[in-house]
Amino acid sequence: MSGYATGIVAILCINLIFAYAIFVTAAAGQLNLGGAGFQAIGAYTAAWLSSNAGQPVIVTIPLAMVTTALIGFLISFPVLRTRGVYMVLATFAFGQFVSGFLLRSPTFGGAIGMVVSDYVGVGLLVAAAIITTGLVFFLMASRLGLAIRSIHDDEPVSTIMGVNVRAVQVTTFTIGGALAGLSGALYAHHFSFVEAQYFNSLLSIYVLLFVLIGGTQTAWGPLVGSLFFTLLPEVLRVGGSWRYVVFGVAIVAMMVLRPQGIVTRELVSRLSPRNWFGSRPAPAARLADGG
Amino acid sequence: MAAEPILALNNVTKRFGGLTVSDQVSFAVPRGARMALIGPNGAGKTTLFNLMSGVYPLDGGEIVLDGQRIDTVPSRRRIAMGLSRSFQNIRLMPHLSVIENVMLGQHAQASGIGDLLTPISWMRGGVWRRLAMERLEAAGISVHPDADVASLPYGVRKKIEVVRALMSKPRLLMLDEPAAGLNPRETAELSAFLKAVAATGVTLLVVEHDMSFVHDLCEHTVVLNFGKLIYEGPTRAVQDDEAVREAYLGSRRVETAGGSHAA
Amino acid sequence: MSDAAALGRPKPVIGKGVLIGLACAAAIGLAMLLGGRVITQQIISGLMLGSIYMTVAVAFTLTIGVLNFLNFTIPTLFMLTGMVAWGLLARGYLAGFGGAAWFVALMAGIAVAILASLVVERFTFRYLKTRHGDATEHAIPLVSSLGFLLIFEHLVLIALGSEAQRFPVPFKADIYFGGLVIGLPQLASLALALGIVAGLTYVLKRTRMGRALRTIAESPDTASLLGVEVARIVPIVFILTGLLSGVAAALFTVNYGDVSPFMGDHIGTKAIAAMVLGGLGSVWGAVAGGLIVGLAETLSIHFLGGDSVQMVVWGMLLLVIILRPQGLFGASSIGKGKM
Repeated sequence: MSGYATGIVAILCINLIFAYAIFVTAAAGQLNLGGAGFQAIGAYTAAWLSSNAGQPVIVTIPLAMVTTALIGFLISFPVLRTRGVYMVLATFAFGQFVSGFLLRSPTFGGAIGMVVSDYVGVGLLVAAAIITTGLVFFLMASRLGLAIRSIHDDEPVSTIMGVNVRAVQVTTFTIGGALAGLSGALYAHHFSFVEAQYFNSLLSIYVLLFVLIGGTQTAWGPLVGSLFFTLLPEVLRVGGSWRYVVFGVAIVAMMVLRPQGIVTRELVSRLSPRNWFGSRPAPAARLADGG
Repeated sequence: MAAEPILALNNVTKRFGGLTVSDQVSFAVPRGARMALIGPNGAGKTTLFNLMSGVYPLDGGEIVLDGQRIDTVPSRRRIAMGLSRSFQNIRLMPHLSVIENVMLGQHAQASGIGDLLTPISWMRGGVWRRLAMERLEAAGISVHPDADVASLPYGVRKKIEVVRALMSKPRLLMLDEPAAGLNPRETAELSAFLKAVAATGVTLLVVEHDMSFVHDLCEHTVVLNFGKLIYEGPTRAVQDDEAVREAYLGSRRVETAGGSHAA
Repeated sequence: MSDAAALGRPKPVIGKGVLIGLACAAAIGLAMLLGGRVITQQIISGLMLGSIYMTVAVAFTLTIGVLNFLNFTIPTLFMLTGMVAWGLLARGYLAGFGGAAWFVALMAGIAVAILASLVVERFTFRYLKTRHGDATEHAIPLVSSLGFLLIFEHLVLIALGSEAQRFPVPFKADIYFGGLVIGLPQLASLALALGIVAGLTYVLKRTRMGRALRTIAESPDTASLLGVEVARIVPIVFILTGLLSGVAAALFTVNYGDVSPFMGDHIGTKAIAAMVLGGLGSVWGAVAGGLIVGLAETLSIHFLGGDSVQMVVWGMLLLVIILRPQGLFGASSIGKGKM
């Protein structure tokens, strides 16, 4: 594989894990526009443990995940008091604060950044991305996954159905934190360098776009969204800024034509092998009239 | 009916600002009964349902389900205690399929992290899905289980909501206007279905405006007006009650519905 | 609160404005007494900077208050005004206007911002139909606005390049007051910004259009039932958004003399901070928030160094969100979603 292709695969894997971090909370109806903050904490924890404490990758990555999971857990309590646009802003403030803090902190190299000692190859990135994808699919197929999706649609009714809404939301923030930490730690180890400026608000915006354009209804969404966003700029043969203009137009068109995201639950069940033969769920209204 | 009632409301009171929407309401639902809760618009019927399912806390009084006080129990625990309900405006989850909506009704039966993290299709014999399919069939719902609920006709969605409420194996099933918007054939089917449900030992408490449906399904009726209980007794005597007639005075509903019942 | 009070005459609109003005004067006075000249100068600069933030913050808070929409195109509308004005001057299109060319350029820039804002309205709200009212649906216009952010920013990069440019400052007049330097354009911009906000408050409280806007803010469905033509009123919000962002950019350009394709990013995030600080949907909250953020910025640069601004401003904000989620002035349920 050429260096160029390897680079794309590496970024795709990191973006995918990062997207799943944001997806897990979005699937329960909470939008996190502070993703870069969580990823930064993961990256800097791994970087510091590796370079300053001399720890091996086997220690740095899990510890980075534990740290971000803990922060996701703690931040969920004030954040979950807010809703809708206000939650978007609260998480945005968190992300901005983290990158502001890192920019200021001499321990973490301030504006200069940090060199990371241990290198992690693209093979491990691919493995981590596959495992993460599998785990999120598993989660979404479980009863907890059903509860997560029902909270997205209707919190009060979910409560009446017996779902512990608050506990599920705190759990999704914790899992999301852990996954964002993983993506950050992998980023730090693969690129061997971290700087606060990379983890800016634009990164938080992009990852949320991956998830919302991909779709929040099924675990396929972030996969398709990340592929779309990472590969589209490569496929678009127009140069430089025009690429982003096309990109922007694609986003706007998407929201007008298919605001629920590329992949929906209905699309997945229509494509599911179970429905390849025999009746199809698509023309639901017609079936219902017959019944 | 000497046995202890399945549900007892004692002086249940709720105020919104200066408005008392439930004023010292007390009544009991006998075990295994099919009871109607009626009253003019704004009488506080849905409020009473919301108080029972814990959407908001009481300002006074108590609610006892099968000997246990439930008004102090968190809303999400009440379904496991045997209280299940439907909603006046259909509240199915729009992004879940038909079968997923129904399976959600079984959520309260999952206990512990291990249970919650088991993929639904890995459960022994796919039990959630199988039970949900059986219930849908029993209710005469023949839509594709993976269909989008949003695309289904009103009457079908209304029925799916009743099936979802049944999945938790409730002891008391509260239905908020289940027949509203249904055509006469669907209403008759629903009535027969609910009678079959009640025959399995489930107590029914039904808010309904359609008096012929109430007469057909429910032997007991309580009537609310302006948050106060004004009648409690057999359904057949409700139209002869002075207070009820007064409450509905000028309201066509009872008279015409009563007429259609007589006919 | 009695019903009679609610139905009575609206309170004078100037109340909160005067309060904020007095607070500013008190801050300057206190600084002069205790902190000396340098601090006073910082506070004055902070308030001037704050007046820019405040104008942009009002644009943000208006779209959130009326439409529950976090409009991420506002920073690019700000940038469009500056860059278009510079482009028109630099390409010599306005040579015919002589000494007034800079002014014409800025007016044209504001007009472009308003037009761009209407384009955004067309594709975010005109076609948007809320279907289920679920938890992430409010993000649809937000995502569209992020798309427009990319489109506008990169179109400007293509047309005008990525360099920061010097906008020819037409006049330079400083007032020296007791050893303090106060830029005349800065003073004018503070007055103009406050004037625009006061005017907007008047429009919102006293006019038919203002009532219509406030009805839509309460509930779009009720508004249309009451005969408010929502489809005709919504574009007005976007015109005001373009106008406020454009005016803020014009004031910024005149004051600091710099324009760049990225000038909106920094101002935009600070304005968001200002809005949240003041409370979503509260116009005077945005004014107070803007001034506070401006002060926090100049004072933290002075005391803690340039790198600390982001941490101080957003740390302060995070505290407000945790301790007082409704912000300093917000009391409404805006942005909290429906049950």
